[in-house]
Amino acid sequence: MGLFSPWFMLGILGVGLPVYLHLLRQHKSTPLPFASLMFFEKRTEASIKHRRLRHLLLMALRIALLALLALAFANPFIKRSAGANDGARRVLAVIDESFSMRAGTRLADAKREALAAIGGIGGGNRGQVAALGANLRILGDPTADKAELIAAVNGIGGGDSHASYGELTRALRSMAQASAEPMDAHLFTDAQKSALPANFSDLQLPASVKLILHSVASKPAPNWTVQTVSAPAVVWDVKKTRIQATVAGFDTPTGRRTVTLLANGKSAGSKAVDVTANGRATVEFTGLDIPYGAARCEIRIDSADEFPLDDKALFSLTRSDPRRVLFLHEARDTRSPLYFRSALAASAESAFQLDATPVEQGANLNPSNYAFVVLSDVLSVPPVLEDALKKHVAGGGSVWVAAGPNTARRQNVPLFDEPVSQGKYFSRGGALFAAVGETDATHPSVFRANRWDGVKFYYAVEVKPGQTRVAAKLTDGTPLLLEKKVGEGRVLLFASTFDNLSNDFPLQPPFVPFVEQTARYLSGIEDRSSAAVVGAFVDLRTAKERTTSVDVIDPDGQHPLSLDQSTKARTYQIPREGFFEVRRASGRNELIAANPDRKESDLAPIPKENLDLWAASGAAGGSANGGATAVGAREEEKPKSLWWYVMVAVLFSAVAESVLASRYLGVQREDS
Amino acid sequence: MTQRFLDPVILASVSKLDLIAKTVVDGFVAGLHRSPDFGFSQEFAEYRAYTPGDDLRHVDWSVYARSERLYLKRFRGETNSQLTVLLDASNSMSFGSGKVSKIDYARFTAASLFYLANAQRDAAGLIVFDDEIRNYVQPSTRQGQFHRLLHGVEHAEPRQRSDYAKPFALLLEFLRRRGMIVVFSDFYEKPETIVRAVEPLRYRGNDVILFHVLDPRELDPKIQDPVILVDLETNDSLEVSPAYAAREYRAKISAHIDAMRDKAKGSGMDYFLMDTSKPLDGALREYLSIRQGRL
Repeated sequence: MGLFSPWFMLGILGVGLPVYLHLLRQHKSTPLPFASLMFFEKRTEASIKHRRLRHLLLMALRIALLALLALAFANPFIKRSAGANDGARRVLAVIDESFSMRAGTRLADAKREALAAIGGIGGGNRGQVAALGANLRILGDPTADKAELIAAVNGIGGGDSHASYGELTRALRSMAQASAEPMDAHLFTDAQKSALPANFSDLQLPASVKLILHSVASKPAPNWTVQTVSAPAVVWDVKKTRIQATVAGFDTPTGRRTVTLLANGKSAGSKAVDVTANGRATVEFTGLDIPYGAARCEIRIDSADEFPLDDKALFSLTRSDPRRVLFLHEARDTRSPLYFRSALAASAESAFQLDATPVEQGANLNPSNYAFVVLSDVLSVPPVLEDALKKHVAGGGSVWVAAGPNTARRQNVPLFDEPVSQGKYFSRGGALFAAVGETDATHPSVFRANRWDGVKFYYAVEVKPGQTRVAAKLTDGTPLLLEKKVGEGRVLLFASTFDNLSNDFPLQPPFVPFVEQTARYLSGIEDRSSAAVVGAFVDLRTAKERTTSVDVIDPDGQHPLSLDQSTKARTYQIPREGFFEVRRASGRNELIAANPDRKESDLAPIPKENLDLWAASGAAGGSANGGATAVGAREEEKPKSLWWYVMVAVLFSAVAESVLASRYLGVQREDS
Repeated sequence: MTQRFLDPVILASVSKLDLIAKTVVDGFVAGLHRSPDFGFSQEFAEYRAYTPGDDLRHVDWSVYARSERLYLKRFRGETNSQLTVLLDASNSMSFGSGKVSKIDYARFTAASLFYLANAQRDAAGLIVFDDEIRNYVQPSTRQGQFHRLLHGVEHAEPRQRSDYAKPFALLLEFLRRRGMIVVFSDFYEKPETIVRAVEPLRYRGNDVILFHVLDPRELDPKIQDPVILVDLETNDSLEVSPAYAAREYRAKISAHIDAMRDKAKGSGMDYFLMDTSKPLDGALREYLSIRQGRL
């Protein structure tokens, strides 16, 4: 027993008050003279003694009242075993419905054993059924109705999710906290090693839960699988499409596997690959010819193992035309478009097509027809074009400005609207050139192309940065790459040129990824994967798209989102394997291929001693494989507050004190 | 109106005892003037045949002259009597719940009796006793006897505890002539003991009246809470509960009074319970009726 607020026990000193009133300050009755005591007897003293006793009882009640009040404020508690109750237990049958349970007869075996365990429920115990996947799915309330429990077990089908014993343990802890009823948790699983959490302490069971493990797969089974598929989400040039697939074997001997690529259900190629024992091999397919739009693709292998469901991997490809980029330059500048075009063409996906035009001829061009616009060191921009570019940027477009000697002759950088301080010729100084000093690795233009060590800058335009974001600086502190938000769009300023006169950047390897990443950033092309894992969440809308409706179509062609969810849900969790189509109001549709977690393909079981250790972390008697008794069970004790009981005692003491006080100390009436 | 002067509370405000006695008796007598039963004048009472030994002075010679028979003519109040008052001056007599204690009440009554006796030319005497005889005024009709009696009564202060055997044994030696003996006491003793002590006086031809003087609180104690009572004679203390005082004590004091009355009558004595909250006329009436019976 303990006290939550022991300092309040100082209030118990108050019991001295009734002691003082009753004993120390006792009323002394004045003797009354009487003619003779001849007719009084000694035994009349008993009444006085009785009265004193009653007063002592009253004093005891008052002392008890004060002591209990002090105790109530001190808030006493006792440590009580979490599992103490009337002996009734809850039997929780947890059936693993993860993807690996679909191998062989594992799920059927688990359900059969679960039904046998349910048949053994009796003696006032109640049963409950749950399915374990990525989360613990409770199938109904605890009940003694075995028919209901059997129906719940039979309703469990195979899932595509990845089992997590850590999630199971967390759910058991929550259930133990919600109910003091002790629980026997029977887990029917294939005990995959991959289901263990990273930290074994995450498997700590509460004291009131006894875990009985029923493993339906005691030995490892050889299994081949398509572990990963690497493919671009968008294909711009079908000839350059490159798809890589990794075939892995678990507990497998060396063997040759045939890998087949299917696009929209048709075979697009097939290759044979040798896979070493327990090893992996990579297969590459290039030049996939698919029609425009989204294509449902698949990599399949011939495994001939007992788990054929993981012999395929789904992915989606979307074929699209390259995005056009408007490159405006001075007529005499022929180097800049050359290097810029070469850099875009050298990128892996060829997502952009460059339209290079002298700036004086670009007055009639519409910037909104391009992914973005590049102003390469132009002295002047036709007012009509400049006005069009400003509107384009304000409406969400992007402009990339390269500043060179021509720009330095202006007061302001066009569109960037920041004053030009000076043009710096580093060759005229002692250093001859400047290198890149600081870079902002979080900027999309820099974070993949941040190794600019060998690049020499001979000339740069110094621009006062103002409120702009500086992504890179030269060694002398001159801002090299600046970004400014204008309206809904953005303007990026490169304080040098794309030719090899002001710098040698176009001749250096970092130039290509720099141009490619900046182009993707300015054009709004997102890096996204063409495939997702079952259980992953898909973003349905951004914060700006609150009111737009999003529709999801599952592999069966059904609409899993309700009307309310389609207008409000921010994310959607992929429940199973297959192609999911996300249709947005903006027309930006997406085809997502969902595959089961490949950890499920490793069917290696957890060693028995580890399972015993897990079962022993809960209540005494937990066991692995329903047999061995777990040892080292720790009795978890929880403090239980006695405040209410003390307050009830205070109430009773107060009532008894009032009754006694009014009865014994009240004005007595003379008997008639 | 006259009854008001018999109220002991009013009498207590009168300082002089003789004045108290006069007030009581005058008031009492004035209230009796229409009564046919009582009178103090030399009026004719009866004729009685002469028997040898009778005093010849009482023979009605006129009747003898007419009938030659000897008759004695008797008149009321003709016979003088002797009154002896025995006043208990033990400590218990000092108890009083109101303005009048028991000893005061006994003083008023005794003084009144002395006043009556003096008016009737009766010899009156006084014995004040507790556990022994503390004052003795010999019965007499001499001049100044009344004041001597009043002085004795007035100075009868309660002191010791009462003991009936010793003073009454001595009293037998002093009382040679028969008469009326009036005992004022609260009689806190066993009735047998009291009667045994007083009986010899009766055997000598005295008329004995026992005036049992009790305070109303002795008859009916009003105790709210358990209290400690102290015996005025022994100084013993006892804690008494209201319940006991209300039930058992009342029963015992009633039984004691009844026993006193029975034992006294059984021995030929008169018994009269005097409640000190009541007027004094009851005691006077008792005395006169008994004196008349002696005629």
